[in-house]
Parts: sequence; C-alpha cells; structure tokens
Amino acid sequence: MTVFIQILLILFHVLVFPGFLFVFVCGLLLAGIDRKILARMQKRVGPPLLQPFYDFFKLMGKETIIPDAANKAVYRIAPIAGLASLVVTMNFIPVFSFSAMSFSADIIVIIYLLTIPAVALIVGGSASGSPFAGVGISREMVTMISYELPLILILLAVAKKAGGAELCFSLSGIVEWQQSTYLGIAHWSLIPAALAMLLVIPAEVGTQPFDTAEAETEICEGPLIEYSGAPLGVFKLNTAIKMFIMTSLFTCLFLGGIDTGIVALNALILFAIDAGLTILCMTFIHAVTARLKIEHLFKFYWTIVSALALISLILVWIGL
Amino acid sequence: MFKKLIAASTAKSPWIYHINTGSCNGCDIELVAVLTPRYDAERFGFKLAGTPRHADIVVVSGPITSQSKARLLRTLEQVPKPFCVVSLGSCPRSGNVFKGSYSVEGPLEKYVHVDVSVAGCTPKPEAVIEGLYTAAQILKEKRKAMAGKKEVAES
Repeated sequence: MTVFIQILLILFHVLVFPGFLFVFVCGLLLAGIDRKILARMQKRVGPPLLQPFYDFFKLMGKETIIPDAANKAVYRIAPIAGLASLVVTMNFIPVFSFSAMSFSADIIVIIYLLTIPAVALIVGGSASGSPFAGVGISREMVTMISYELPLILILLAVAKKAGGAELCFSLSGIVEWQQSTYLGIAHWSLIPAALAMLLVIPAEVGTQPFDTAEAETEICEGPLIEYSGAPLGVFKLNTAIKMFIMTSLFTCLFLGGIDTGIVALNALILFAIDAGLTILCMTFIHAVTARLKIEHLFKFYWTIVSALALISLILVWIGL
Repeated sequence: MFKKLIAASTAKSPWIYHINTGSCNGCDIELVAVLTPRYDAERFGFKLAGTPRHADIVVVSGPITSQSKARLLRTLEQVPKPFCVVSLGSCPRSGNVFKGSYSVEGPLEKYVHVDVSVAGCTPKPEAVIEGLYTAAQILKEKRKAMAGKKEVAES
C-alpha cells in the first residue's frame, strides 16, 4: 500500500507539481511576460500575455512534416527527450524549502540534465538533414561550451561557500544554509558569481544577444528550420521552460532564504522573483543589444563571465 | 475541449512567411512596416517566420516572373496544413503594370487558391493588417474543417 502511494506521489511530482503542469504554465507565462515587457520597451502594445500559450496550441494543431532526408525516429524523439529532462530537472530544484527529489549531490545531476535539452536540439537539428540546421548546430555546440565553464565555476563557488570545509553539492543543503545565515547574494564574495550567473542565463535559454544558434534572420532558426507542427511546439515550450528553470536555479542559489511554510505561497513567490529576473537578465538585454557573432559570444563567456565566476571561486576558497 | 482551444489559438497566432516573386519591393516594405512599433501587428500575434515550415500565412508579393514561378510552387508545397495564401498588392492579382510582359506568368490564382487578396499599389499598412486579420479568421475555419475531416476518417 505504501509503495502504491509512493508511486502516486512520484507521478504527481513529475506530472503536476513541480513537474510538467507547473513548469508548463510558469514557463509559458514567463515567456509571455518577456514578450509583453519587450514590446512596451519598444513603445508597442505588444502581444497578449497568453500569446505563448496560443502559439503552443496552434502548433499542436498543425500538420507535422518529416523531410525525406531526416532520420525519422531521432527527429521525433529529440524534442520529447529535451522536455522530459527539463521536467526532471525541475524536480531537483527546491521551491525554497520544498524539494520533490533531493539527494546529497543533486547539483551534479542538474549539470548533466541541463545539457540534455541543448543536446536534444543539436541531435534533432542534425537529424533533419538541412544545411542551415548544420550551421545552427555547430553554433549551438560552441554556445554550450561557452556557458558550461562559467556555470560550473559558479556552482563550485556556491557549493564551497555553503559547505565550508566539505563541498555542499545538495541544493536543499544550500537553501538551508541560506536560511540559517543570510541570502547567498548577501555574502559579498558571491556577488561576482551572481553577476556571472545572470549572464549565463540568457545564453542557456538562447535569447537575443546570445541566440546566434537560432538566428532567425540569417539562418532561419538554425536547428529548428525543418521542424513543423507539434515537435516545433515542444521545442518552443522547452525554451520557455528553460527560462523558468534557469531563473529558479538562480533564485535557489542566491535568493533561497525565503520560507513562508506554505508550498503554494512559496511557489507564487518563486514565480514573482523569476519574473523579475527574466525581465532583468533577458528582456533588458534583449531590448538594448544586437545579436553577437559566435566567436564574440565564445570570447565574452570565456573571458569576462568566466573571470567573474573565477574571482568568486578564489575568494570563497581563501575563506572570505 | 482541445479542439476548440486549438481552433481558437490558430486564429490568434498566425505566423507570416513572405515570398517575393519579382515585386518592386514596395509591398515588401509595407509588410515590414506592419510589424514596426507604429502599426504593431504583433498585438494580434503576427510574427515573421524565417522558413515556410513554420508558416501559417504565406504572403506573396510581385507579378510572378518566370524565374520565381518554380520557387513559389516549391515553397507552397512545403507549408504544413492548414495554411492561407494572401496576395499582397496589385501585382499577384492582375500583373499590374507588368501585365503582358514576356517574363510574367501571373496571376497567382492560376497556381494556388488565394484566400485573401489585398489590392493597392502599394496597399496601406492598415489594409495589410485587415487582410492578414481576415486570413487568420479563415485559418481558424480551415483548422475546424481539418479536425472534422480527421474525425470522419477515424470513424
């Protein structure tokens, strides 16, 4: 009986909260807020807040064309694999004090799980057999290499700061540490890491200045060029969910000290903070910058952003 | 429930793919003007798609020259259903001042069913928005018909 209840609980965690349904609604809402605020910054009325939902459901109703040159199985599975890994990632990220799945080293798991959506995009793009997709996936790979290094440095810095002598690789452990002392961002040695993380988020999600891989004006959305209908909808959903997951990860690492005791209220506060972060690190940057070339993107991440993360890591390591 | 949701969403998020078949660029500029902050077609969900695979509305401008005819037909074959075809300006409608030229193979109706035709040389952005909006409503009807057909085939 208890096993049965446990299975039901896991299913609930994966499908409803904090799994699929939760990230579906929050992710698409964040994408809607992003588009609306961006439009207001350009003095436009902008699309309705629910526009990403309309886009998603419209794409569900379209015909799915699979090109002759494509590898059919991989072409179909790639978007689903990306979505599944994102849903599982959200289970590891604590909603402040509530965590659906918590292990002693879930940061390591998250590092691996977060690469899967990007890899799914690369695999799906290469399976579609289009030369534009070929250019797109090579850029996507370079983007991945660019942001992975600073991301890992940031996570190491926070883990060292939270764990003291031993590294604390558990996200709920990091949140507990913040609740017992103060917010991660209030430790001054972690401020460079927080800045670096704010710059990693747009590259991980793939928004404007760092969307070289999906440049719709030059390579027609790169890896997504041959996709249509439902698989395209799932890829668009993945991007929106990544927005939510990356901002949630930031909240958990640097602003994790809030706990009202009620899970629903915690989730609401998490969403509000995420919306603020989305506007700060994605919409603002999107509105004021133009797309970078891929070599500039690589240079930017391996010099400035990595340096910020490294400064933080060194400060933490010498005990400040 | 989902069918209604999809049909309603189809009218609210039409993505445009624009193909120039020998146009003088006048209509193309007006189409882009529709997306600028002044007219802001994005409030109806319009978005310029980069590839025909993502398109819901195919906007054709220009009198269809011999060179562009094959490309036009190839592009139209690649658009996933349901989709609408909108002819922009007088050229795809009648050939305009290029009518009778040895290299013009229009009008567009010879090759594909045109759902909405926006006249003018060039049409005003307001007219373009109205045409595209009408096309979005037609798209919704097409989606409903498509869903109905599927049900018939299944039963």
